[in-house]
Amino acid sequence: MQRRKIYHYSFLPAALLLLVVACKKQEYALPTPKDVLQNDCIKRTLGPNIVGQKIEFAYAMAILPAKGKLVSAEVEASIAGAPGTYMENKSYYTDQGGVDVGIPIGDSSVTKGTNTAVTFTTDTFATTLRYYYVIPDEARGKTVNFTFTTKSSNGETASFSMGPYTIAKMDMVRNLKVSTDKMAYISIADMTVYDSTAAAANPDKIDLVYVYRKFDSSAFNHALVSPAADTNYLPGVMLPAGVSRNSKLIKVFNLQDYNLALLQYGIYIDDVDFQKLDFTNAPDYAINLKAEAGAWIETADAKYRAYIYINSVKSDGTAVISIKRLAL
Amino acid sequence: MKKYINIVLILLVAACTWSACKKDFPVDEDGLLITTRQECYVSSFELLGTDFVTVRVGAAVIDTTAQTIDVTVQFGTDLKNLYPQFTLASDCKLDPKITGKVDFSDLAHPKVYTVISGNRQIKKPYSVNITVQPRQ
Repeated sequence: MQRRKIYHYSFLPAALLLLVVACKKQEYALPTPKDVLQNDCIKRTLGPNIVGQKIEFAYAMAILPAKGKLVSAEVEASIAGAPGTYMENKSYYTDQGGVDVGIPIGDSSVTKGTNTAVTFTTDTFATTLRYYYVIPDEARGKTVNFTFTTKSSNGETASFSMGPYTIAKMDMVRNLKVSTDKMAYISIADMTVYDSTAAAANPDKIDLVYVYRKFDSSAFNHALVSPAADTNYLPGVMLPAGVSRNSKLIKVFNLQDYNLALLQYGIYIDDVDFQKLDFTNAPDYAINLKAEAGAWIETADAKYRAYIYINSVKSDGTAVISIKRLAL
Repeated sequence: MKKYINIVLILLVAACTWSACKKDFPVDEDGLLITTRQECYVSSFELLGTDFVTVRVGAAVIDTTAQTIDVTVQFGTDLKNLYPQFTLASDCKLDPKITGKVDFSDLAHPKVYTVISGNRQIKKPYSVNITVQPRQ
């Protein structure tokens, strides 16, 4: 009995002590900055890396003012970027109105082969520079790496590696205007739209016809139709001589690919999406297409698969389309 | 005395375990509950295209006496690639099961789906008759 009492009396102070320790407020201490040149990098673009499009990076670098200042920033890409590749020579901040304001920190970037560099001309201790890499055709289907390097006036160097990034094999074209009475012949091989004269000159390249018809008793409206489709789906269409290919189509809705639509949807069609398609029993027409709808297409020779996105439609028989295409 | 209490406790635990594992309700070969319900009918029907948008023109006409579903689809509907959707009476199931796209292109031979009641005793085959809307 005596022992139990001792246990009780010793447990209570121990519990109280634990509470006091648990509730003790730890004093905040300012972190001590590292006294060496530092850098960091993020890739800002999302989705597949498509030839002709840009990959955007934000490269941050900083040094303590007491140690020196930034002298240069450069990027080494494993495959030289296409013309238009550059690094910003401005450091941005966002003003009270939400507008990004650029402050020049050096000369415009100089790109030589795989290297892009900015030399600082103002005293700068910390900055973030954007780097835009235009994907060259040479990189198609390959991977590309980047090494970001900064130097400071005290002779220090810091580097940051990014990648590897796989470059998609597909191609993309945006905002092609089609009209049922003129620019109606779509070539997936050439990724363009032809009128009847040009279609007659390139009949083996015409994969689809854009048709707009308004019927009272059925919903035909905007349609993508194979030249070889039943004439019921080509009402009043006089095909140019030799235009007779038979593409297959799968009608789609709610697939607003970001690259094609440039809308808020975070959907991206990549190479693998084309490879997974099954066109068995697919028809050769897609009618009653609306804005933001689309269609998967396989060309008659099974050489290409494509996704045509309908950006907008008008009741005067015109539409704006965008295409992603993969060569098989 | 302690020994007897232990034996009683063990027996009690065993009895509880046995009763907990006992199957109260029968299930069919699909693992679905077999109930006492005798209702056996289709209450609504939907037909979607590859874009998952309806291809119907108006509501489907369901005749529970003749066991037919008559549906008119839009001109240009791709009949080989359709997704049918049935709404059935409570606890019913459908045979064959719908697992993906269905080919309805053979209009002369309508697809037949059998509704099976909750008690699995009543089976009613429904024919899906499709009419394509004319273009003009």
